[in-house]
Amino acid sequence: MARRPPAPPDDPALKERFEREALPLLPNLYSAALRMTRNPADAEDLVQETYLRAFRGFGGFEEGTNLRAWMYRILTNTFINAYRKRQREPVTVTDEDVQDWYLYDKLGEAGVEASAESAVLERLPDEDVQQALEALPDGFRLAVLLADVEGFSYKEIAEIMGIPIGTVMSRLHRGRKALEKALWETVRERGLVAD
Amino acid sequence: MALSPIDCQQVLEQIELYLDGELGGSLRAEIEEHLGRCGPCMDHSDFQRRLKELLRARCGCDQVPAHLLDRIRALLAETHGPPLD
Repeated sequence: MARRPPAPPDDPALKERFEREALPLLPNLYSAALRMTRNPADAEDLVQETYLRAFRGFGGFEEGTNLRAWMYRILTNTFINAYRKRQREPVTVTDEDVQDWYLYDKLGEAGVEASAESAVLERLPDEDVQQALEALPDGFRLAVLLADVEGFSYKEIAEIMGIPIGTVMSRLHRGRKALEKALWETVRERGLVAD
Repeated sequence: MALSPIDCQQVLEQIELYLDGELGGSLRAEIEEHLGRCGPCMDHSDFQRRLKELLRARCGCDQVPAHLLDRIRALLAETHGPPLD
């Protein structure tokens, strides 16, 4: 992104523009922060820190470019720097035993008609779906979150996470398979299919 | 010689890219054409699409705490703007 000369401090027009354009993103950023940190107190801290950093860097943000992707990049970097160090967790998912179409096939094997498969998933409480996503290791969780929840393109995700597009695709594919496995276990625990 | 039409295995391998909106041009059109006439592939595609929709609906709509917006506004109010280098 082209670096422009920073605006003078306390430029009221700049602050007004930042508030007008960046604050409406708060609901999405907060949800994403919750999925990243997995708890409301840390999510609030993360979102506040993100807005602070974004505001301080706003003079270098080029008007007319993708503010949403820029805010998510700051959110992601802030999360990785502040929270990832604290957490001890596996950096990869074990997906050797998870085939493509895992969940589709498992539901089918349990006797659910193809047309009714997604209806079974609809019966899961929000918290179960959130926990399945939140259980993924960081790199996979972020990729799935940015693609499926936030709707970013692979190119945008690559820029937000600072990784090559090929890595985005691989993390998405493997992250989704791990997610399907977690959802299947939840579906069974909830008794939504006959054993 | 005309190329043979895309088969089920090729379609299923590309579904993730297709549903992510990452395929363009002729491949996208070929997959759409195949899905229009192949029930099993359409079932797979629908399932994967609804899984994406489920994630979006369940994981992206949390209630923002009422005080958070005020807190951020206050934080910005007491923060100096972008600094001069």
